[in-house]
Amino acid sequence: MNKFSSLFCAVCFAAGLAAAPAMAQTKPIRIGVPTAMQVQVGRDTQDAIKMAIDDINAKGGVLGRKLEMVVADETENPETGISAIKKLTADEKVDVLIGGYTSGVTLAQLPHISAAKTIYLGVGAASPSITAKVKQDYDNYKYIFRVGPIHAGHQARQVTGFISGFVKGELGFSKIAIVGESAKWVQDLVPLLKKGATDAGADVRLTEFFDTQTSDFSPLLAKVKDSGAQYLVVILSHASSDIFAKQWHDARFPIPYGGIDVKSMDGDFCNRVGGKAVGEMAANFAVRAPLTAKTIPFWDEFVKRTKREPVYTAYGANDSVYIYAEAVRRANSTDPNAVIKELEKTSYVGIPGVIEFDEMHDVKAGGKGPNFLFVQWQDQCARQVVYPKPQRTAEYITPAWIKK
Amino acid sequence: MLEILIHGAVSSAIYAMLAVGFTLIFGVARILNLAHGSFYALGAYGAYFFTAHLKLPLFPAALLAMALVALFGIFVERVLVRPMRSSQLAVLMITLAVALVVEQALFLTFGSEYRNVPAFVDAKFSIGGVDVGGQRLLALGASVTLIALLWLFIQRTRLGSAILAVSQDPEAANYMGIPSDRIFTIVMGLSAALAAAAGVLAGPFLTVQPTMWLLPIVKAFAIVIVGGLGSIPGSILAALMLGYAETIVGYLISSSWTEIVSVLATLLMLVFRPAGIFGKRAAF
Repeated sequence: MNKFSSLFCAVCFAAGLAAAPAMAQTKPIRIGVPTAMQVQVGRDTQDAIKMAIDDINAKGGVLGRKLEMVVADETENPETGISAIKKLTADEKVDVLIGGYTSGVTLAQLPHISAAKTIYLGVGAASPSITAKVKQDYDNYKYIFRVGPIHAGHQARQVTGFISGFVKGELGFSKIAIVGESAKWVQDLVPLLKKGATDAGADVRLTEFFDTQTSDFSPLLAKVKDSGAQYLVVILSHASSDIFAKQWHDARFPIPYGGIDVKSMDGDFCNRVGGKAVGEMAANFAVRAPLTAKTIPFWDEFVKRTKREPVYTAYGANDSVYIYAEAVRRANSTDPNAVIKELEKTSYVGIPGVIEFDEMHDVKAGGKGPNFLFVQWQDQCARQVVYPKPQRTAEYITPAWIKK
Repeated sequence: MLEILIHGAVSSAIYAMLAVGFTLIFGVARILNLAHGSFYALGAYGAYFFTAHLKLPLFPAALLAMALVALFGIFVERVLVRPMRSSQLAVLMITLAVALVVEQALFLTFGSEYRNVPAFVDAKFSIGGVDVGGQRLLALGASVTLIALLWLFIQRTRLGSAILAVSQDPEAANYMGIPSDRIFTIVMGLSAALAAAAGVLAGPFLTVQPTMWLLPIVKAFAIVIVGGLGSIPGSILAALMLGYAETIVGYLISSSWTEIVSVLATLLMLVFRPAGIFGKRAAF
């Protein structure tokens, strides 16, 4: 090898070494999405993340790197949920995880997320136990954040506010009945709700649980009627929402109902039960109302792209991508420790409200933060915000068969 | 009290319609058909599809759904069950496989969300001060009528006699010139149509989603164990007992206890009287 070619090789080698970090820098930032792909909550998570990724990439990406999404189905089963986390962190080597739906699954995933030292932005599960880990063992669980929904304790407080402010304050009903499905989160929530409602001056005539498999609500409705209650507060999450609405309507049950009904958060719930939910009030985060400057534009864009109305996970998932991207920009790195420090300082005007994290990395509720909106199914299955008053888009309607 | 009487009757009627078909095919062909709940689900989905997508009026849609489910039942019997009928275990496995395939097919076609089957009657009726949805009363009436017709068909017609003969002794019936294979096919079709009818009638006030087959098959199973596998009067009696027991528990104790009733009844019956109330011999 002559002198010239040796020099040429040395130059090539040096250029190659210099190019390696540049190559790494242009490698995309990978967003892992563990979610229940078979339900709308999961489909909306993916679509909302995709929307944010497309938008950010169109503007040049983050630190010159494009964003890309990798999805893993966590179903509603903890074991599959753990596999999804392992696949995303060990095989796909994602930089951040955005997703979640069932609290039991997320709780099972936590040790694996912590072991993988990967930031997790939760957008689906509501159990307070998830973020409690951050406070108990910060060093191991600092990776966990919840962008949405507000946790079950906050939810109970906001339903209590609905009972005192709306049911008692506006409708003038002080006698209420509370019924909920036999599930852990409901059994935790109902005593809080009962105490809150009683403290607010409501007369809780009945609290009753029913099996999630219940297919005949006649006995339950008869008990509610016999209790003398004027308003029925429900806490439903799983399969029974549709049967409940149908049987309430078919029997022209003389007491209106409302509360937390997770299935009734779906944009097409009312149509799916043949319009029989008209009159029901359901707490929701995702509605087309001007909560922030971003709410209505996001809603309209989501509907345009997917041909369906979003549920709450869409709001949290879309915001999460921007929150993470901003934290990476501020940290000038995707190193989890540096990004966590920046995430903790987040104050982001998101779709449902201003997203800020408390010391447990949990989204702050109340004030300008995300809050429950109590939405009523009205004529033609249109959804209208009825409570709180500042966000009201229509007046409350009484179901046709109930005497005012 | 009147509430328990009325709502218990409605629950019992739906259970009876499910259990009679389930026990019929067992009594005649000794087929423990775990796909029976799928016939119920397909009936409801058929009514939904024909009304919502093909915009057919409800009554023709319901009849069409029942007819197609009956044909599907015949297909399952002839193509899948018949080659394996000598082994009860193989039949159990193949019918379970059919149920799971149907569930996944419904899931892929219609998604996981529940669907709406329109009600034949949307009015509310008050009987002695008890408010009952019209569709529930219709389900009660239709169930009683269909079971009575089935009873008359079996007791009074030539084909019914052939079915009875095969159920008593298939070999002897064969020697008498009764084509037992054809009888099995007919009974499977009838049983599937009955389950589909239950789906069409109960769909408007119960849930319609891909996993809806599971609970009915559990209930049908409990009823036929209590009533005696293969016995139609036993199934009707057990359906009444179960329907009323659940309603009474719901009214007097709590709705969160209703689902344990059927499981407990099955367990107690298997321990103390494995043949069931009207069964001649233990099925297992």
